Amino acid sequence: MIHFSNVTKFYENQAAIKNITFSVEKGEMVFMTGPSGAGKSTLLKIIYLSEKPDEGSVTIAEWDLSKLKESNIPFLRRNIGVVFQDFRLLDNRNVFDNVAIALRIRGMLEGEIQEWVMEILKMVNLRHKADSFSRALSGGEQQRVVIARAIVGEPTILLADEPTGNIDPDTAAGITRLFKEINARGTTVVVATHNRELYRNTGRRVFRLDSGNMVGEEIG
Amino acid sequence: MYLLYSFRLAFQSLWREKWINLLSVLTIAAGLFMITLTFFVVYNIDLATKRLPARFSVMLYLDDGLSEQETGSIIAQLKKNNAVEQARYIAKDKALEELKGVLKNADYILEGIDENPLPASIEIKLKKESVNIASVKKFAAEIKKIKGIAEVEYGEQFLNSIHSIKGMAKAGSLSLIIIMSAGVIFVCYSTLKIAFYRRKEEIETFKLLGATRGFIRAPFVIEGSVLGMFGGIASMAAAFAFYYVLFYKVTATIPILKILVFPLETFPALPIVGLLLGIGGAVIALGRIRFS
Ligand SMILES: Nc1ncnc2c1ncn2[C@@H]1O[C@H](COP(=O)(O)OP(=O)(O)O)[C@@H](O)[C@H]1O
Ligand SMILES: [Mg+2]
Repeated sequence: MIHFSNVTKFYENQAAIKNITFSVEKGEMVFMTGPSGAGKSTLLKIIYLSEKPDEGSVTIAEWDLSKLKESNIPFLRRNIGVVFQDFRLLDNRNVFDNVAIALRIRGMLEGEIQEWVMEILKMVNLRHKADSFSRALSGGEQQRVVIARAIVGEPTILLADEPTGNIDPDTAAGITRLFKEINARGTTVVVATHNRELYRNTGRRVFRLDSGNMVGEEIG
Repeated sequence: MYLLYSFRLAFQSLWREKWINLLSVLTIAAGLFMITLTFFVVYNIDLATKRLPARFSVMLYLDDGLSEQETGSIIAQLKKNNAVEQARYIAKDKALEELKGVLKNADYILEGIDENPLPASIEIKLKKESVNIASVKKFAAEIKKIKGIAEVEYGEQFLNSIHSIKGMAKAGSLSLIIIMSAGVIFVCYSTLKIAFYRRKEEIETFKLLGATRGFIRAPFVIEGSVLGMFGGIASMAAAFAFYYVLFYKVTATIPILKILVFPLETFPALPIVGLLLGIGGAVIALGRIRFS
């Protein structure tokens, strides 16, 4: 589903990731870990096409990124749900609209959108907050809105960048459970985190990054 | 389709910045109104110059003592010429009579003149399309060669001035219309550029979620069309008001202005012109949408 082959990405002559090679199979759930600045976010950004690799080749869901036409980028992105580290919520809109936007860009009809969004909000336990403005929510609630928006379009790949960043351990455990549930439905999941609690005893593959290098692979 | 949602986004944005947008609409309206006035002026100049060819004639003065047969052959030759619409023979006596008619009570000037000093002449009306400097010159040169014609006379000055008035009016109005249109596009452009920057963050998120260029552009193009269209409607109202004041109020004191013509039927084009210029401004403001 995701293949990196000798991928390097530079920021102003400084490599953020160096010569990275790895694969994630369809339906897998894997973790990227390592200290802050290791290159986890950069790696995810390459997957969701926010950054272009400078060297090496990347294939996502059978699409060779070096051959991808720019006008096709939106259609590839619709297969990839992203839980952004900085959330990227629309703060002048309510929770419903924040989740619905993922379906509106796909041109889905409002009637259908209503149904789908409410169902997903129930799944992340935010149905009662549908009309609240996103900036009025707690960190954990905002995190769940972002997850709801990432999965509402039923993507084949779900990427999560530090999904338990600033939330309490209980909520974090709930979020891990949610990812497992989504993964169990067949979605390929990649979670970038420096929080060991997230992958401990999951039995999933964990890739370890340090200063842009892939320094190891273990089972969590 | 996402268009319904695009309309929602567009109207939300228009409403959120309603005062700035109102100002833009009024500016667009002012620009379009100036374009309308320019058009009005040019239209009337054009009408006036179109009426002039009917008054234009070429006079041919004939040699003295031509026989009736010779005169007849000259007239026949003239009538064969493609440029000629009408040829009227004015005999010597008729010319004198006409002169007396013009002089009326001052005809004592002619007293004491025994012999008619006026030559016989032919007054020629040219076809409309031949009333221009080049054709008239060519025509004059041609007919001067006909035997029996002493002199050819026409208002060269008159033709030249029509020509230059038309030319100046066309060039002036065209540049004014272009400048004003560019101004209207610029107003739409800057209004939408501001709207675009205000929503930059949101647009970035839309892109990351998989929005197409069309989805991103549509609300702005709709906003541009709405601004332009409302500007057009406002300018149409202003043009009707101008028409009313000019033809019902001002003509009461200056009746000569009644000869002006206001092409009312072109007014409904204003909202459409505004809309198109608004779309133009929006497209320029958006530029190329990039995904990476
Ligand atoms: N936009 C950027 N411009 C310059 N340097 C960057 C940029 N984004 C990331 N970096 C650098 O790349 C390296 C990897 O960053 P990142 O991928 O965010 O690490 P992580 O997510 O593991 O904390 C860091 O040294 C960071 O400073
Ligand atoms: Mg990071």
